[in-house]
Amino acid sequence: MTVKELKEKLNLKTLVEGDLDREVKDCYIGDLLSWVMGRAPADSAWLTVMGNINSIAVATLADVSCIILVEKAALDDNARQKAELHDVTILTTDEPAYPLAVSLSRLI
Amino acid sequence: MRELSLNVMDVAQNSVRAQAKVVTITVAESDREDRLTIEIADDGCGMTEEQVQQVIDPFFTTRTTRKVGLGVPLFKLSAEQTGGSFDIRSKQGVGTTTTASYVKSHVDMTPLGDINDTVKLLIQCNPQIDFVYTRSTDQGSFTLDTRELKEVLGDVSLDTPDVLEWIKDYLEENTQNIVGGAST
Repeated sequence: MTVKELKEKLNLKTLVEGDLDREVKDCYIGDLLSWVMGRAPADSAWLTVMGNINSIAVATLADVSCIILVEKAALDDNARQKAELHDVTILTTDEPAYPLAVSLSRLI
Repeated sequence: MRELSLNVMDVAQNSVRAQAKVVTITVAESDREDRLTIEIADDGCGMTEEQVQQVIDPFFTTRTTRKVGLGVPLFKLSAEQTGGSFDIRSKQGVGTTTTASYVKSHVDMTPLGDINDTVKLLIQCNPQIDFVYTRSTDQGSFTLDTRELKEVLGDVSLDTPDVLEWIKDYLEENTQNIVGGAST
C-alpha cells in the first residue's frame, strides 16, 4: 500500500507532502526519539506525538515512509520546513495511536 | 536518550575528539530550586559561532556515513521539554562549554542514569585526558580530579583495574552521602 492510499483509506490530513508513492510495509509507534531512531523499520508509517525538528531527522535516518502525528499533535514551523526540504511526508489525525494502528494493520 | 548520563558520555566524547586536555563535568542538583544542571566544559580546539549553530542542527554532522547527527539536538530537546534551557559557548583555541538545565519535577524529566559509571568509563577509555567531576546536591558536594589522583599514583596508569575499582567505590560512597533516598 502506498502512502497516498493509506492517507485516503484512513482519512488522514496532509501537513507536508513528500513522496506519496512510497510503499508502507510496516508500522511503528514511539515518542522517545533516540529509541525510535534505532528501531523504527524502514518503509514503515511512524505514529508519534513528537512534531519537532529532531523528529524529521529521525524519520530521515530510519527511512520511514511517513510520519503520522496522532491526537492532533502540533508540528513546529522549523520542522515543517525541514520536512519539505527532505521530502518527508507528514500526515495528521485526531485519533490516538492505538486505534489508528489497528485500522492500519488491516490495510498492510 | 533514555538516561542523561548517555548524553554526558556523548558530549564528553566530542571533547575528547576536540583534543581536550581537561574535561570538567559538573552535575548540580537542587530539590529546593527544582533544578538539575549538567555542564561539560573542555579546553579543546573549540568551535566558530557557525559551527556551534551547526551542531545544534540535527541535519548536520561531521561524519560522512550519514547525513544527520542527533547527539547534541536530543540533549537540547531533553532539557527544553522539561521547561529548562540549553546552551553551548565555544571559542576557537580556548574550548567549549555545554550546559543543560532541567526542571527536575517535570513529568518529561529524563532520569539521570548511572552517571558514576559514565565518569568511570570516560576515565578508563581516555587515561591520557584529565577529568574533573563534581556532583552537588542540597546536602553537599564532592569532586573527583584525576590530576590529583595522578600526583598520588605516580607512574601507575588510571586505567589499571585496582585504580578503576577505587574510583568506582569513591564515586559511589560520595554520591550516597549527598543523595538522600534510593535514587542516584
